[in-house]
Amino acid sequence: MGKVMIEVKDLKTKYVTRNHEDVYAVDGVSFKIEEGKSLGVAGESGCGKSTLALSVMGYYFAPLHYMSGDIIIDGKSISGMDPDEVRKHVLGTEIAYIPQAAMNALNPTQKVINFLYDVVHAHHPKMPKKDIREMAEKRFEELALPKDVLDRYSVELSGGMKQRTVIAVSTILSPKVLIADEPSSALDVTSQKLVIKMMRELMEKGYIKSMMFITHELPLLYNVTDDIMVMYAGQIVEKGTAKELVFDPTHPYSHALMGSILVPEEGTRGKKLPALPGTPPNLKHPPAGCRFAARCPYATQECKFYQVPVKEFGEGRMYRCLKGIDELKEAYSHE
Amino acid sequence: MKGLRKFILKKILWFFITLIVAVFLNFILPRLMPSDPVATITSKMAEGLTDTAAVQRIYEHYQKEFGTDKPIMVQFFIYVKNLLHGDMGTSFSQYPRSVASILSSAIGWTIALQLPAILVGWFLGNFFGAVAAYKRKGWDKIFMPISIFISNIPAFGFAVIMLVVFAVKLKIAPTSGGYAYDMIPNFSWKFIKSVLYHYQLPFWTIVITTIGGQAIGMRSMSIYELNADYVKYSRFLGIKDRKVVKYVFRNAMLPQITGLALSMATMIGGNLVAEMIFSYPGIGSQIYAGITTSDYPLISGSTLIITIMVLIMTTLLDLICGIIDPRVKAAQFDS
Amino acid sequence: MKNTIRQLFHSPNFVVGFVIFVGMLLAIFLYPIFHPGSPLEMIGVGTFAKPGLYISVYDSVNSETETLRLPDADEKRSGAVLSDEDRVAMIEWFGKAGVDTTNLDASDDAAVLELWKANYDPDKTIKGLTKAKRAYYRRLNEALANNGEAELYVATKDADSGELVEKSEIDKDAYVNTKDVANVKRLVLGTDNFGRDMLKELLAAAKTSLMIGLIAGSIATMIGLILGLISGYVGGIVDDIILFVMNIFTVIPSFVILILISYSLGQSQRGAGVVAMIIGFTSWVWTARSVRSQVISLRNRDHVNLSKLSGHSLLRIIFTDILPYILSYVVMAFILQISSGILAEAQLSMLGLGPKTTEVPTLGLMMSWAQLYSAHMNGSWWAYFPVIFTIALISFSLNLMNTGMDQVFNPALRD
Repeated sequence: MGKVMIEVKDLKTKYVTRNHEDVYAVDGVSFKIEEGKSLGVAGESGCGKSTLALSVMGYYFAPLHYMSGDIIIDGKSISGMDPDEVRKHVLGTEIAYIPQAAMNALNPTQKVINFLYDVVHAHHPKMPKKDIREMAEKRFEELALPKDVLDRYSVELSGGMKQRTVIAVSTILSPKVLIADEPSSALDVTSQKLVIKMMRELMEKGYIKSMMFITHELPLLYNVTDDIMVMYAGQIVEKGTAKELVFDPTHPYSHALMGSILVPEEGTRGKKLPALPGTPPNLKHPPAGCRFAARCPYATQECKFYQVPVKEFGEGRMYRCLKGIDELKEAYSHE
Repeated sequence: MKGLRKFILKKILWFFITLIVAVFLNFILPRLMPSDPVATITSKMAEGLTDTAAVQRIYEHYQKEFGTDKPIMVQFFIYVKNLLHGDMGTSFSQYPRSVASILSSAIGWTIALQLPAILVGWFLGNFFGAVAAYKRKGWDKIFMPISIFISNIPAFGFAVIMLVVFAVKLKIAPTSGGYAYDMIPNFSWKFIKSVLYHYQLPFWTIVITTIGGQAIGMRSMSIYELNADYVKYSRFLGIKDRKVVKYVFRNAMLPQITGLALSMATMIGGNLVAEMIFSYPGIGSQIYAGITTSDYPLISGSTLIITIMVLIMTTLLDLICGIIDPRVKAAQFDS
Repeated sequence: MKNTIRQLFHSPNFVVGFVIFVGMLLAIFLYPIFHPGSPLEMIGVGTFAKPGLYISVYDSVNSETETLRLPDADEKRSGAVLSDEDRVAMIEWFGKAGVDTTNLDASDDAAVLELWKANYDPDKTIKGLTKAKRAYYRRLNEALANNGEAELYVATKDADSGELVEKSEIDKDAYVNTKDVANVKRLVLGTDNFGRDMLKELLAAAKTSLMIGLIAGSIATMIGLILGLISGYVGGIVDDIILFVMNIFTVIPSFVILILISYSLGQSQRGAGVVAMIIGFTSWVWTARSVRSQVISLRNRDHVNLSKLSGHSLLRIIFTDILPYILSYVVMAFILQISSGILAEAQLSMLGLGPKTTEVPTLGLMMSWAQLYSAHMNGSWWAYFPVIFTIALISFSLNLMNTGMDQVFNPALRD
């Protein structure tokens, strides 16, 4: 077992809306990522994936608020730290973030190199600009990015180039954990491939030590990450290795989700894709029982009212359902 | 750099095209009207005259003065030729002064008053708008309704209020003119002091009426920018809030330059009427004098001068914007 | 549609603007019903009568009186008589007569009067005073002396002899009830330089100005909408030409064109409607610009392409696939056009190029009259301040509604 790079314990965060209502977007999430590993997060839009990414950074500003839980990066807890300490010593250096809409992530009126100066100076105020430029040029070269990108404005870059620049900027200080929120969703297939290749290189060359990869594209997760967890309505409903989750999902939600992947095998043609009716529940007033009960084809009356325990099984796997594994497998086999 | 040169050349070319159209409009509009301007002027000048021969002489005089007996294109070329020699005709009401000499002294007053006042108003407006956007609560609630209300008081209305409060009631400012009426313009210290004393009220009137509109624009621009993706991204890279706010305000302010260029024409028009209220010796008062005394050459000369002034300001602002805002540059240089 | 309207009424900005605007409309339309008559009727002979309650002197003399003993009545009487003009004249006299005024507080009526009584002697000759001035001081002294002391009588003229016959003495403690006086007129905002009732005139002017704004705004919006639609949707050379015209009219001040056209037309031809039309024809550029950019962003949307592929006619595409999407912007632009139309009229009128003055009052004409008759210099605040306030209030309410709509239609701007 490798060294644990990030461990999140029972993290709870909420949004406070304009009308002062609380929305419990991340509700008791726990996981850990070991050195050299990557964790994928899957789920529909609106189930809290992106909020989880923001919450894990340990740096909160309105409308997102921290409630409870612990974030431990490389053995050091950052939950109790002063926000300015987190900003200075954790963000960018320990944990870095690639936003969902990387297209607009760069300040349009600033050259990339000037932004890099600001990023590095936020953590190493005394570092001379010459050294930063040298470092950036070297890193860009290694990641197969043209050096002249540094002296350009983001409006002058193409979509794919912008995205790769953002990744290079985010990891310039070699963080231990990289949180990537749908880094490739808005790109064409070629650029997507380049982005994925780049993330792999970052990991192989040791510029990042672990990664959390969020996407709604399941085939991508299967190809990129070691482990996958499935999120629903602010909670983790199932966790396992990528292979296990894709080929042997346990939770009815994972099952439905994985059922929507087309695997190029015999008999795919003509196979009807199951659609999952309904939408995730409103988290202003989460349901008392299982959050998936309203949409679950196997739900009983009990599911709607009883607290659902987390069940662990196999090698580090878990799922969150009242029903037993055999019962679920039995039900799936009838489809 | 080649793009920059093309951009500047394009703007200059555009300036000349617009200038020609403006001169043409200034020439043709009065001539397109159903009423014969010469007849109108003659009837105004000949009021009370019963001698038809005398009226006829006046009519012929103005017909020659305007050259209305010649074909319209010939008239236009004569008009342009005269303009190129700085000849705008002779004023009726201030005979025998030439319109050019009247306006050349008036234009200095107008520029010296309006240019600094608009710029100061623009800066203050942007500052208040940015603060309102950043602070929001409280400040925003008080400041915004006030500035919306003030920005809706027309410049001439505000001029009257300022005049009554500070000149008539408090007697801390003069009621009219650009300098004490018993002085002859010269470069003595006493004269400059008198000019500054007379400068106060018109200056602050324009500043205050400019602030409101600019502040409202800057506020929504800043709110829009504060929600931009690069703000969140920069924060998550550990960049200090103060620096991020700097990005935001820079980006919000640059489009305000374009906004200033677009509203320049309307603003100067309104301010000219305010000038007239203060009997400031600028173009505004000359237009008013021209209208009340039916001094057609003076009106026509004034409108042409205003148009050229607005045109120069707008072109300059466009150039500045294109050079310092990469977003505009990217959009402009390509096309 | 219904939902949008409901949303609008949840926006505080919109609601405040709407309430102010509707309030003004109610005042404009209801007041003339209760107080009929022409707003241009000159009821006053002098200029600038102060706001207040006017009681007919003739009727009050003939009204039944009631005796009231008020302790401060005398004091008020003497205070009321000393005008600024008199005060200045008295202090000037002190200076000429060599009276020591070092300890005098010039704003204290009682002190000035006391010093005057102690020093003034009509028989004393003071150097440097003209004969007219000496007569003036004598009259002033008599007026001051008679004040509160002289007895006043009501006399009638005998029809036969032509002699004045005492009818009754006016008792200082006699009061009349305003309800018994036949002719009482409340001039809430006084009168203007022509002696017109300001309030009635102001409301009529606000109505005309709103009409001017409405006509100008409708014309500008129609032209802007049509040009913007053609330019944005058709594109190509047509777009180039329209854009060229738009760019030119953005930098050539519409103010200048307004002045040139209005002046050339001459005052006799400038009715309020004509002025409104001229304003409308010169202020369409902004609407055209924003409609054009909206249409360009819509032009290649899927639903428009689908319509095109289905072979729908140009008009049908514009009416069903484009107009509904830009309607909110057009309405917002229209609202702003109304307020800028009102403002443009006011500016033109200030310069003496407004509608002809004989038919209807407009807010700009009222400002212009107040300015011409130096209302702001002689302290007649009621002649210009309510006008400025009305202009500001109209455009404030329209702008608030516009801001509210903007927040509803552009969620990015929401708080």
